[in-house]
Amino acid sequence: MKKTLLLVLLLITFGLNTVLKADDDFSKAIVKAKKNFKSAMDKYDEKEMVKSRGEFERILQLKKNVWLVNYYLALCDYNIATSGMLAKDNDKVKKYTQSGLDLLEKSTIERDNFADAYVLKMSLEYNRFQYEMDKMQSIIADVQTAEETAKKLDPTNPRFYLVKGIATFYTPAAFGGGTDLAQPLFEKSIELFGLIKNTDETLPDWGNDAAYGYLALCHIDQGKLPEAKTAMDKGLVINPTSSFLTGYVKKAYDEKAK
Amino acid sequence: MKYLFTLLLLIILCTKTFAADSTAVSIIKISGTIKGEDNKPVNGANLVLEGTIDGATSDEKGVFEFETEKTGTYKLIVTAVDYSTHTQEVNLEAGLNITLDIKLKKNITTTEQILVTASSFTSGENSKVTLTPLEIVRIPGANADLYRALTTFPGSNQVNEGSRITVRGGDPDEVITILDQATLYNPFIFDDSYNTSSFSTVNPWSLKGINFTSGGFSAKYGNALSAVLDLRSYDMPTTTGMFAVVGVGSAGLSGVYLSKNSKFGGTFSLSQSYLKPFFDLNGIAADYSKVPEANGIGGTLAYKFGTTGNMKLYANYSGDKIGIRNASPSYDGFFNSQSDNYFANYKISFAPSPASILSASTSLSLYNRKLNYGVLDTRTKDYYGKGRVDYTQPISQKTNLNAGVEYEYLENQVSGTVPAFSYNLRPNALAYNIDSSANSGRIGAFVETEMRLTDKFFAITGFRSDYHTLSKKISFDPRLSMGYEIAQFNVIRAAVGMYHQYATPQNYLRANNDDLVAEEAIHYILGYEFNVAGDIVFRVEGYYKDYKNLVAQDPNDFKYKSTGSGSAKGIDVFLKYKWQNKFTGWISYAYSDSKRKQLDATTQVPSDYDITHNMSFTGSYNVTDAINVGITYRLSTGKPYTPVTSSIFDPVQNVYAPIYAERNSDRFPTYTQVDARFQYITSLFHKFCVVFVAFNNIFDQKNLYQYNYNFDYTSKTEVPSLNKRIVYFGIGLQL
Repeated sequence: MKKTLLLVLLLITFGLNTVLKADDDFSKAIVKAKKNFKSAMDKYDEKEMVKSRGEFERILQLKKNVWLVNYYLALCDYNIATSGMLAKDNDKVKKYTQSGLDLLEKSTIERDNFADAYVLKMSLEYNRFQYEMDKMQSIIADVQTAEETAKKLDPTNPRFYLVKGIATFYTPAAFGGGTDLAQPLFEKSIELFGLIKNTDETLPDWGNDAAYGYLALCHIDQGKLPEAKTAMDKGLVINPTSSFLTGYVKKAYDEKAK
Repeated sequence: MKYLFTLLLLIILCTKTFAADSTAVSIIKISGTIKGEDNKPVNGANLVLEGTIDGATSDEKGVFEFETEKTGTYKLIVTAVDYSTHTQEVNLEAGLNITLDIKLKKNITTTEQILVTASSFTSGENSKVTLTPLEIVRIPGANADLYRALTTFPGSNQVNEGSRITVRGGDPDEVITILDQATLYNPFIFDDSYNTSSFSTVNPWSLKGINFTSGGFSAKYGNALSAVLDLRSYDMPTTTGMFAVVGVGSAGLSGVYLSKNSKFGGTFSLSQSYLKPFFDLNGIAADYSKVPEANGIGGTLAYKFGTTGNMKLYANYSGDKIGIRNASPSYDGFFNSQSDNYFANYKISFAPSPASILSASTSLSLYNRKLNYGVLDTRTKDYYGKGRVDYTQPISQKTNLNAGVEYEYLENQVSGTVPAFSYNLRPNALAYNIDSSANSGRIGAFVETEMRLTDKFFAITGFRSDYHTLSKKISFDPRLSMGYEIAQFNVIRAAVGMYHQYATPQNYLRANNDDLVAEEAIHYILGYEFNVAGDIVFRVEGYYKDYKNLVAQDPNDFKYKSTGSGSAKGIDVFLKYKWQNKFTGWISYAYSDSKRKQLDATTQVPSDYDITHNMSFTGSYNVTDAINVGITYRLSTGKPYTPVTSSIFDPVQNVYAPIYAERNSDRFPTYTQVDARFQYITSLFHKFCVVFVAFNNIFDQKNLYQYNYNFDYTSKTEVPSLNKRIVYFGIGLQL
């Protein structure tokens, strides 16, 4: 009896130890990779973003929460594609947008109720306008499908309103966009960010500073500089190293203030 | 109990010891470069030792470096966007650093363009498509008509500036249109009416995919000698909304609905012509008994079932009415035509296993037409029915198997009076009363394999067989299509195959039993294409077609027999350039030499649609995100026609009878036309709105498609196309 009990205890101890160690390895690796990703985002540095992508890709080897790793890989791809947009490199936009969409498909096949995946899909689908405007009809349909799914899965996801706000911000008023319509979306996003109590460090937490940044840009466009300054400052409290806030938004503010 | 604690302590210590052991080895450095097959460095490639997170990412020079504490044999995995995964074993020994030079191969999915078969122009979601729905509606002069848009591609020509097309010198009836497996037998309004351009009833916006193949097509398609236009509509609407278009000559309303759970959807479309304001604006080019009319109504109902199933019902009606004056040598009066066209198709598809697809459909068509011109007064009813099943199954990672079977039923009824002599059309001329009916059935089956033999080489081998109830004969069609990627973006394609098409039931009425076998053509095609993601496309293709068993009239008994023959050869050249989202343009040139001994021709003469040179340029430029302008220029050799050389007086009929020269021994003058289109996107009542203005035949070129002779055929007058310079404008609004 003693021997049997001993064997069971031995197995439980060993098994638990292995599982906990794997979880711990995964969490540590993801948290580290997220930190490097944030650094790359803050600096708007494509080289660092490519490195960050590689780091996430290596985490796939742990074969743990692959859906989440694929999400982060797609997020890196989205950011690299955005760099391509700024550099007017359509090949890069196309290549990484398509790769991001493929990764999200893998992610959602494994876990189809992760709202952030659909939010990111919305962003990537918007990217397609950059290089295949002639498929406007199907892009709009794909964006709508992703949007409906994201909202249905988590109506309180702040990144949903952030992404929708960004798309509205860059859409001309004649086509149903503009800063007036985008502003309440950023405000909603900020409100929802305030309600988040994220205890799982491996899950996505990006966007709060960007929501303030875009809200500031809306105010700047509307000529409301004090409100813009407030939004910008709040964003910097959340993320003092954001070059989006310290560079792009600040520059727009300064130009308007002249 | 003491024993138990001792052991547990031992276990914990062992675990710690193992952990300590694994960190006690020395560090090994792994470095090197990663390049593509073109020897250029690959930036952002990721390397990792399998089962670990030890690895690195290559920089812009393709250089990488990382350290590991692992020892032993590991698999090194290298991945990069657009490249195939590379793996190799590395032996990690303490104290020994490793240097590697790795070459990556382009991912197989980036070479999808080689899967496009010869002579194909495609549209859809594939990034290598040559034509998008947006480009179709923007082609100046095409009036948002799919068929007219296709004539800006090499190898195809319009018939009388209408929607019917001819391909590589073939007859318009040798081009079949497939929509969701069903054959569209007559998708036109104002079809075959005197000096009137026809229009297609197919809405390009409803199409998910378009594949136009001007030769060498797959064994999936039977009973077609020249070309196939295969259309796929959306299985399910992607959104809910309505759109209205109002122009100076017609108006349309369309809508789509998608249920909240995306399981059920429906579409509808309505169209109505009202040409009076159009004539007021542009003038009336002909003498009409009344303003021509056309209208249409159609829609779909779709339902998704299970995880892969979809069923769809599509129904459509179109009708037209026209009375246009025609002064023929024997009769000067109105050519009156009225037609009604009904079509319905029910299609169901699902995946019986994860990678296979089964589709089945059944369709019915009814085409009613009344024709009246002088003594000619007929009622025609054509019934068409078709059932088809297709199955696709991957049989290995690189091979797909397609198979299918179809049955087609045609019935043609004609009643009324027809002139006894074609040269006397007076209302009181000698005529026959006819009341005939003929029908035929055809059953066909095919099987084909799509094989990717290597990353760069594919082949499609197919075979089909058909049996026809009137000819009582079976045809056998082996077909082969190949593509080889000689370098990135550069593909060589070839196709060879046998094609059969049965004569219409009406032709069998003019033949002795079993005298008509299927008309036969053998296609030989060789081409080269340079294609960079559909943005830059250059294609050159040569072809040769050998015809036999064409329907020809026996000069002795005037019966139809399968004694005709012919050939067609030519070269098609196509260049397309797309510059960002700003400019899209293409130039097409086709040289063709098509000769046939067919119908009343006694020797091989130029075929009815033998256009020696045909060139077109189409360009579309986005001035801003909201403003688009486009222009199309077309130039082609005149169409062949059979001139009248003299006439003799027929005292019984009291009318002159023409004496014709050899069939198609003369040509109309060179055809040329320039069209332009302007489009402005804006918002109205906060809704999407598009305003368009089209200028057709800007230089008012008088293109000829016919001569009218006087009563004794001693003089002829030109009958220019009715498509003189016109302005057309309208507005589309999202509702």
